Amino acid sequence: MTPAVAIERGVMVAFAAFLIAVPWLIPAVTSSFWVSVIAEILIWSLFAASVNLLFGYVGLLSFGQALYFGFGMYGVAIGIENLGLSFWPAFGLGIVASMAMALVTGIFAVRLTWHYFAIITVVFSLIFYFLALTNKWLTGGDDGINFALPPTFSFGGMRWSFTDATFQYFFILATVAVCFWLTHRLIGSPLGKAFLAIRDNDVRASLIGLNVYLLRLIAFVLAGFLAGVAGALFAFFGRYASASYMFYHVSGEAVVWAIVGGAGTLLGPIVGTSVFIIVREIVSTHWEHHALIVGVVAILVVIFAPKGIVGLWREWLLRLTEREPAAAVETKLRTEP
Amino acid sequence: MSEPVLRTEKLTKRFGGLTAVDNLSFSLAGGRLHAIIGPNGAGKTTLFNLISGLLTPDAGQVFFLGREITGLKPHQISRLGVKRTLQIKSVFPQLSVAENLWITGHAGQRFLNPFRPAARDRGTAEKVERTLEQIGLAALAKRQAGTLSYGDVALLEIGMALISAPRLLLLDEPTCGMSPAETERAVGKIRELAQSIDIVIIEHDMEVVFEIADDITVMAQGAILASGDPQVIAADERVREAYLGRPEDEDYVEEAAHA
Repeated sequence: MTPAVAIERGVMVAFAAFLIAVPWLIPAVTSSFWVSVIAEILIWSLFAASVNLLFGYVGLLSFGQALYFGFGMYGVAIGIENLGLSFWPAFGLGIVASMAMALVTGIFAVRLTWHYFAIITVVFSLIFYFLALTNKWLTGGDDGINFALPPTFSFGGMRWSFTDATFQYFFILATVAVCFWLTHRLIGSPLGKAFLAIRDNDVRASLIGLNVYLLRLIAFVLAGFLAGVAGALFAFFGRYASASYMFYHVSGEAVVWAIVGGAGTLLGPIVGTSVFIIVREIVSTHWEHHALIVGVVAILVVIFAPKGIVGLWREWLLRLTEREPAAAVETKLRTEP
Repeated sequence: MSEPVLRTEKLTKRFGGLTAVDNLSFSLAGGRLHAIIGPNGAGKTTLFNLISGLLTPDAGQVFFLGREITGLKPHQISRLGVKRTLQIKSVFPQLSVAENLWITGHAGQRFLNPFRPAARDRGTAEKVERTLEQIGLAALAKRQAGTLSYGDVALLEIGMALISAPRLLLLDEPTCGMSPAETERAVGKIRELAQSIDIVIIEHDMEVVFEIADDITVMAQGAILASGDPQVIAADERVREAYLGRPEDEDYVEEAAHA
């Protein structure tokens, strides 16, 4: 293990310890309002991870992931409010609905790449956004659906539900952690390696025998899964679902979070999402144009740290730990003024 | 005589008004190293694209070992054992050398397991090690392919062709842009490969072609101009014309100058 890897492991362990300590640590230091902000960051990180899976690992830039987030939300809300489902079946319905939607739209979308792909994902998300807005009988339109929260677990007289803030926090933390762990496993698996090959060079990938279309479709459905889990969690967290979360503005934010954090890195989405939501929470109480900061940070990162904050950190770590000059220093050519 | 490895039947591909491959029929016998030469724009790379499925022909058919492969997708043709390299060197730049070989060696499998670490596939890992030794890139196994020198990328490409266990290998200008030393190394590798695999090579370097090819096919304007062993081709008048221009063309130029 190189020193750089050791330091990174250490930081990750410390970060995990911090996340576990949050329900006790945060109220002791500041207001308990921040516990729910952190829970929200975790959910949105998972949503950004769905963008990252497509863009960072398969090379498809989707501006429509909010559609699957929205289906996750509505799956839960309609499941509970209209179908009378309990917690777990509603959770499952949300996830299955997002994945099914990702499959149906993906069949058309993954025929395309780059800006065409970006455009078709936006178009799909806009279509369903307006459908959700207009079909008030089912979706509640802009007002959305409010629902009463069923308990998550109940054994005899014992009940655990999201009404207990600590339980809610840990449930979200555990679900998000499992999803990130699954993504980590996926990237290291043969399927993940095939994704990376397609990201790097799709023509070559097809010539070595990879079914590029099918693999992209699989990735799209898996990204739909991540977005769907995030949407379902967010529905439980807010006790409601609304069409406004299906708007492409929401998708665009996730793209910015993933890229600024570091596309193609596992924890990039968490870093990017944390930075932006914390900035928003702090600044928005003093200044209404906080979106301006988002824009400036995004532009700076894209220009000066193309691999995002995580990429920057890794570079810095390598330079710090490697005392002797690297064997082959890449000469950076100036191609632009 | 046994089934030809590769056979095309009246193969045609047009790009707008340009007929890149024109009614091309040929047949390649197994066990020999074939070279395709011809001036720029003769349709050589288009022919490779038609065989490997990157393009679909407007008319005609392609047969591989007697089986029709016309219209199949690139990955389907690849899985039958037809592998190729691209004219512009093409690897997976952000993956390491070893990972490039690993995914190429693993890609033939129908099922890509999402639940098992890739590192646990000992079979493919051993193939990667063996191939790294064969192409002499073992020292660079962990380097990102995008940071390799041009010659090393070309070797990696040959390694990727090797590890994918081809039955027919299409090499598109493998020594293009190489230094003389690198060319020599690559030619050695190709010769070695030709012992066990059928190879078709597109090449501009005539020295290389006449050194390694058993058979040469000359293409011009999408059609076959001549074909035969190197001595026959070297002596062929039409081939010289295709490369150097006809005497009439010079007359035409002169006429134009006087007009």
